[in-house]
Amino acid sequence: MTFRNVLLRGLLPAAGLLAVTAVAGLLVGAGDVGPARAAAVLLGGDDPDARFTVLHLRLPRTAVGIAVGAALGVAGAVLQATARNPLAEPGLLGVSAGASFAVVLAIVLGASATTVGPYVAVLGAAVGCLLALGAARLRGAGDDPVRLVLAGAAFSGMVGAASSVLLLVNQRASDEIRFWTVGSVVGRGTEELLAVLPVLLVGVAAAVAVSPALSALTLGDDVATGLGHRPHRVRAVAVASVALLVGGATAVAGPVAFVGLVVPFAARALVGPDLRRLLAVSVLLGPSVVLLADVVSRLVVRPYEMPLGVMTALFGAPVLVAVVRSSRLPAL
Amino acid sequence: MRNPSETSPKARPEAPEGGPAGTVPAAASVPRPRAPRETVVPSPPAAPPGTVRLAAGGLSVLVSRGPLLAGVALTAVLVAVVAVCLSVGDVAVAPLDALRAAVLGTGSPRDLLVVTELRMPRVEAGVAVGAALGAAGCLMQTLSGNRLATPDTVGLNNGATAFAVAGVVAGPTSVLPPATALTGAATAAALTLALSGGVGQRGYRFLVVGLGVGAVFGAATNLILSRAEIDAANAAFAWTVGTLNGRSQPAVTVLEVGLLVCLPLAVVLARGLNALRFSDAVATVLGERVRPLRVAVLLTSVVCAGLAVAVAGPVGMIALAAPEAARRLTGPGPVPVLTSALAGAVLTLSADLVGRTVMAPLEIPVGLVTAVVGGPYLLWLLLTTRTRRTP
Repeated sequence: MTFRNVLLRGLLPAAGLLAVTAVAGLLVGAGDVGPARAAAVLLGGDDPDARFTVLHLRLPRTAVGIAVGAALGVAGAVLQATARNPLAEPGLLGVSAGASFAVVLAIVLGASATTVGPYVAVLGAAVGCLLALGAARLRGAGDDPVRLVLAGAAFSGMVGAASSVLLLVNQRASDEIRFWTVGSVVGRGTEELLAVLPVLLVGVAAAVAVSPALSALTLGDDVATGLGHRPHRVRAVAVASVALLVGGATAVAGPVAFVGLVVPFAARALVGPDLRRLLAVSVLLGPSVVLLADVVSRLVVRPYEMPLGVMTALFGAPVLVAVVRSSRLPAL
Repeated sequence: MRNPSETSPKARPEAPEGGPAGTVPAAASVPRPRAPRETVVPSPPAAPPGTVRLAAGGLSVLVSRGPLLAGVALTAVLVAVVAVCLSVGDVAVAPLDALRAAVLGTGSPRDLLVVTELRMPRVEAGVAVGAALGAAGCLMQTLSGNRLATPDTVGLNNGATAFAVAGVVAGPTSVLPPATALTGAATAAALTLALSGGVGQRGYRFLVVGLGVGAVFGAATNLILSRAEIDAANAAFAWTVGTLNGRSQPAVTVLEVGLLVCLPLAVVLARGLNALRFSDAVATVLGERVRPLRVAVLLTSVVCAGLAVAVAGPVGMIALAAPEAARRLTGPGPVPVLTSALAGAVLTLSADLVGRTVMAPLEIPVGLVTAVVGGPYLLWLLLTTRTRRTP
């Protein structure tokens, strides 16, 4: 596939979708500031209510959605390449669960939800990621993509239950964190975003830097060594990248599952399996998927809103079924 | 015509009528019940190796020794756990007094109140839920030929939960949780089955499709809770974690009636399941009608799982661990449905006991206890079992 094809079939549609969803994220809401009033604000109107809603509520939320989506999309693509498993997804493999457990633990031990930085979540994500990839390299279990997902689900369930027990025991933590454990971009603002932005940027940079070596690794460790790569070091960078991205995203928005599955799946359908093209498209598609889910979540249960994590599960589970059902799992 | 492994007419492991009459000490060292091909009631009452003959009047049945011993042992353990559950709490009652109060209804008024009014309903719910989950898990594992396929892993519990929560939130209490939970479990089973293209066809595919279906129903549960009035949401919350605290008595009664129907049915179906261990063609030749049998087994386990969720909400891992324990105890042989039910009851009560006591006065719901304790076990199973590449 030539660069021109990648541009036409992958990058441009993804960018277009991102633009549309971003505008929709600013225009559409559960409250009574409708698209018309919001559009007027964007064009320079001075309706104070609408102005506040659009500029102080929807704009930061959309920015957070873009950052989280890009992080999770890229993390999914890197994790799938590293585990050589089209079902490897941070949420399904327990990476997000590790991150949220770390945050819960930190808060129970005395940190407050506002001061606990993204690094706690990154640490938890790193542990989850190491466990998942360790399991992926086990003989027998790792060869079977589907079984790895089940192990991830088991791990997530266990860690999630442990979090629930901690929250049950500690009422203060429970109050601080209740809003956060389902995955949501509501009420997250510029401050939280700026705190994690460096983490996410480093994560993306690491993903881009390691992608050629990671592609080589899919040929097998021996071939990759012959080509001059060092498999262990490559995997270490990949783990670090996934941990930074998922930890950062989880610190802002809580655990949001299935984005890392849906985005690389769609990107692969658009531009094929090459990791560098996948990353380029995923960076644009991830935010689109998250924003789309966020906009829909504001509309389906008006005047309430639905947590983002719930919405992505509704989107993502059918994709999971589709991937599992496809007669031959796409080779990685 | 029946299949060869069944030439020894079996009965339920702890057949109540009559006492153990004749055993065969000479052959007791042979571990596997390998019945000779023609066991047309030998005229001297000698039981084949590894089995025990129970006789009452002119009737007699052969029971495999393993299941019988396991059943007796598990029953003893269950009685002990029940006694402990009845005696432990804010007000301590001596275990034997507690048992006497529960069974005979005698004892000091205080003991009677605490045991029969306060603790007995909870223990009753725990036993019923555990037995239902254990039996459902055993049936489904055998059906799909995969010991990881249980009602909680293939999305049944989530489906039942979603529907039960929807029923509670919708308001009118005329719709009982058992009805909605049962509908939910059946819906989830049908979806998983249809989307994965059949049980046991492609190994783990059934499970991951179940995981996806479960995720959708889990999201639906959250969606319903996020829309609901706060009181309704609080009322429905119990169904999302799995707890035996303050369960509704009608639901427990429905579950018990369901068990009275389902357990004997499961025992009968389990005989046919023995034949399904082979390929469909072999099973057909052995005289089983494969499709109706599959449907019946699936329905039985859906009913058991759905009614259990209606009582306690999703209690994970019991359906996975109980049949495993039962198989360990009984050894090779017939499908251990009743032993699984007993083991499920023991496990559920023990988990509830742990949740009630470790952080008292704070109570950890039984569903969380089983998830935390059972999680490592499930992981170990997943990562160590070799995939059998069956055609």
